[in-house]
Amino acid sequence: MNTKRIQETKKSGPIRILTAVPICDGHDSAINTINLEFIRQGIEVIYLGYHRSARDIVRAAIQEDVGAIGISSYNGGHVEFFAEVLDLLKKQGAADIRVFGGGGGTITPADVRLMKRRGVDEIFFAGTPMTEIVDFVKRNYGRHATIPLSRQALSRGLNDRDLARRLTVVESNVGHSSFNIRSSTPGSCVVGITGPGGAGKTTLLDELALRFLKANAHARLAILSHDPSALGKGALLGDRATMIYSQDDRVFMRSLASRGKSGGLSSATERCLQLLRYCGFDLVLVETVGIGQEAMPFGRKLVDKTVLVMSPDYGSRLQLQKIVMLDAADIVVVNKSDLAAAKTAAAEIEQRLTLNHRGQKLVCTVAKRHRDAGVDTLFQLLKP
Amino acid sequence: MSVLAQITAAAEAYHHFVEQEAARARTDSRFGEKILQRWQAARAGVATVTTPTGLKLPRLALPQTDDPGEIARYLYGEGLPGEFPFMNATYPEVYLQAEPTAHSGHRKSQTANRKSEEPTRLFAGLGLAEDTSKRFHYLTRQQNTIRLSTAFDGPTLYGIDSDADGVFGKIGEGGVAIDTVEDMERLYAGFPLGDEHFSVSMTINGPAPIILAMYIAAAKRRLGPGIVPKLRGTIQADILKEVQAQNEVIFPLDASLRFLTDMVAFTTTQMPRWYPISISGYHIGEAGATPVQQAAYTLSNGFTYVELFRERGLDINQFGPRLSFFLDCGLDIEYLALARVCRKLWAIGMRDVFGAGERAQLFKLHTQTSGRSLIAQDFKNNLTRTALELMLACINATNSCHSNSADEPFTTPSEEYVRLAAQAQAILLEESGLFKFMMNTLGGSPGMKIVERAVEEGIRNEFREIDQLGGALAAIEHRYQRSQIQSAAYRYEQQIEDGTRPIIGLNRYPAPTARLPAVKVVRTPRHKKQQQADRLARFKRRNRGQTEKALDDLAAVVEAGGNVFGELIKTVEHCSLGQITARLHDLVGHYRPSV
Repeated sequence: MNTKRIQETKKSGPIRILTAVPICDGHDSAINTINLEFIRQGIEVIYLGYHRSARDIVRAAIQEDVGAIGISSYNGGHVEFFAEVLDLLKKQGAADIRVFGGGGGTITPADVRLMKRRGVDEIFFAGTPMTEIVDFVKRNYGRHATIPLSRQALSRGLNDRDLARRLTVVESNVGHSSFNIRSSTPGSCVVGITGPGGAGKTTLLDELALRFLKANAHARLAILSHDPSALGKGALLGDRATMIYSQDDRVFMRSLASRGKSGGLSSATERCLQLLRYCGFDLVLVETVGIGQEAMPFGRKLVDKTVLVMSPDYGSRLQLQKIVMLDAADIVVVNKSDLAAAKTAAAEIEQRLTLNHRGQKLVCTVAKRHRDAGVDTLFQLLKP
Repeated sequence: MSVLAQITAAAEAYHHFVEQEAARARTDSRFGEKILQRWQAARAGVATVTTPTGLKLPRLALPQTDDPGEIARYLYGEGLPGEFPFMNATYPEVYLQAEPTAHSGHRKSQTANRKSEEPTRLFAGLGLAEDTSKRFHYLTRQQNTIRLSTAFDGPTLYGIDSDADGVFGKIGEGGVAIDTVEDMERLYAGFPLGDEHFSVSMTINGPAPIILAMYIAAAKRRLGPGIVPKLRGTIQADILKEVQAQNEVIFPLDASLRFLTDMVAFTTTQMPRWYPISISGYHIGEAGATPVQQAAYTLSNGFTYVELFRERGLDINQFGPRLSFFLDCGLDIEYLALARVCRKLWAIGMRDVFGAGERAQLFKLHTQTSGRSLIAQDFKNNLTRTALELMLACINATNSCHSNSADEPFTTPSEEYVRLAAQAQAILLEESGLFKFMMNTLGGSPGMKIVERAVEEGIRNEFREIDQLGGALAAIEHRYQRSQIQSAAYRYEQQIEDGTRPIIGLNRYPAPTARLPAVKVVRTPRHKKQQQADRLARFKRRNRGQTEKALDDLAAVVEAGGNVFGELIKTVEHCSLGQITARLHDLVGHYRPSV
């Protein structure tokens, strides 16, 4: 495979940081509050959630190519935990991703001195005004140095770090073609997953990831996930926080904020997908923002298959007629099919699909249920 | 109609009933006469006490009225202490010192008179099981009744073994490391587990059934199978508040509730002196909920458990008296009456919706002062905050109390501040004259009534919201409680930043030199952590031949729908905590965190 090589480039656009709470620690009250403040101040926050291992945090930070990691610790063991994060970053050549943190419990001033010597930028004690933390992040993680990109071409051998940085370039230079891919190169199968907010797309996707990883001990999966930006503000990219199985070395996940674009995707989606398609993944899943009735997020040739995930409570049959994606999707999933309304919903949708005469498939799932047979069926349908 | 709608309706009906009775007492002279007689009898039954300064006071403060309507409203609306709806207290007497007033050596008789044990709960948990055990022995060396309260380390709270990837730094931090039944034997070694003056409390939730199974197995190993019905204690095991606030849940909610119900079914029939669940608002409050939210979610969680246990076929009059509650107490004015209102709503719900007998109507309460209200800046102010919170808790007639140490915001509590916190309780209840001579000093006062009404209305509104979402479990699916708590937490922080919520020493009157005192934190040394990991490895090697079989037996019970708890008591003989949770994860999945 031959591509035009990418040169160094400058990051632009909003600050991206990753926040998380360490393993065996469920104290997420402080971080939730601070996340909201970050977003209000224009920062894009990839939130990994609580009870997360150093490995999960570092993997996510590298894949998301964030400027910094913020860790909120209240349960002790912070000296070791922060050291482990710094150590893993260094080992993976990502020491430019900075680390800061905060919390309480037993973080002493002496601990802070030690942690700073080891490479932590700052520790904020409980009680620090939120504005002080936001200012710190803006001051230190705002302007980014040039990104040194390796000269390696796109290939199966591309590591998470290089791929993530190329995605950053793509996301920040939307419209400028900085690489080309020969059309003869066979690409991965790309599946688009869309549906209204609250239908359970992220849960379903994570359950698909579990089946994918179990089915083949070497296969690799890419996930491109979208979340809305708040109007004129940052974004909370929180899908990772609710995912269990997708935190795996064989899963590459990237979260995109819509940054003002409507319709379920980002302006950079197409370019990001082109890139992901040619990096040797066995499957690429794209999840949209929760969509409205008229949305058709996947343009021609963007994806190979489309899945529409619906919840049974869409309202009346009339409402169903208005959902454009019902005509376009290859597979329609009625999730939460344990709800009382599910039988009617499945029957109505089935009828609609039959009238379409396009061979569309209908699958009923309960994604939140462990080992759900419906999700198994869906997984079989998605196999390339 | 969800059970909460029924509770709300019952509370409204009860209010209506009280007003009806008040009106009848005024208009129906025979009924009015009966009420007056009851009142006179009640008043006559109240003994008089003489304070050291010579003041003569009744031991119970009652409203000064001879209007039958007002009397009926008091007797039915609040109830005398120990009478339905228990607004004033669960029992006829709380906190009062012995009568008649003793001049010397009254301490002993006071304890006897209260018919209660020393209220001190000795919370500990650090390092390895033997370290914590030593600490327990040290703390209880002069106590007649021994009440141990156990804190577990992070890996244990999440059901993870000490030798798991990435948890080494957390071993023995903030609590004791328990991996196996052998650790459990070490933890309570030397204590008389079956003694009626001995009880343990375990602060653990997600893996609670496995940990309690280890406790039972350890007790049987030392004292034989006959020990089981004698075991006395409490395990927190409140999964609903974990999902809403504290995040220490490891299995999906439905599986967690099944394991919990299995455990409750077992203790209800085989361990009659055990409290299998402590329904906790504390963590909801600490996560940022307003006092009304805290009370509403705690009560609705409690009623949800009652429904679940009844569906399992358990007798409400058997398990009901074994439910207990745990609330936070901060400085907001709601705390003047929060627990009073909770007692009333619980009693009405249990009696009028579930048909429970009197013992199952009691809202037995442990209160802890608010950790969130304490700050590191000018930290000695925390002594004042905690003292005020303690006083509010006692005005609410809490059954027991834990007061926080002033140095908690920045370190593990030092001996000095633990002692000051415990003595604050003694100063309030023994030294001050506020609670030991007369009960119910503020009950029935205009201010108290206004707060009660406002709080009750707030709680009922929350009940309506939750009911509209389909009940507490459905509301959890909608992330209702979580998002409400998070919004409240965010508002609280904003109020501190814009100064509308004054915090002395932080956003008002800050100290000129804001320096934290040098602190020494006790940490678990590296070699101890290694020791725990090593002996876990030895346990696993030793049991290698039996582990898989034991896990398969457990799996069979899970799949067949049997009582998992009964089987767990056998499983823990050969399997570690992490091995058991791993197998259960395979069978029922992981809890999917919500944000």
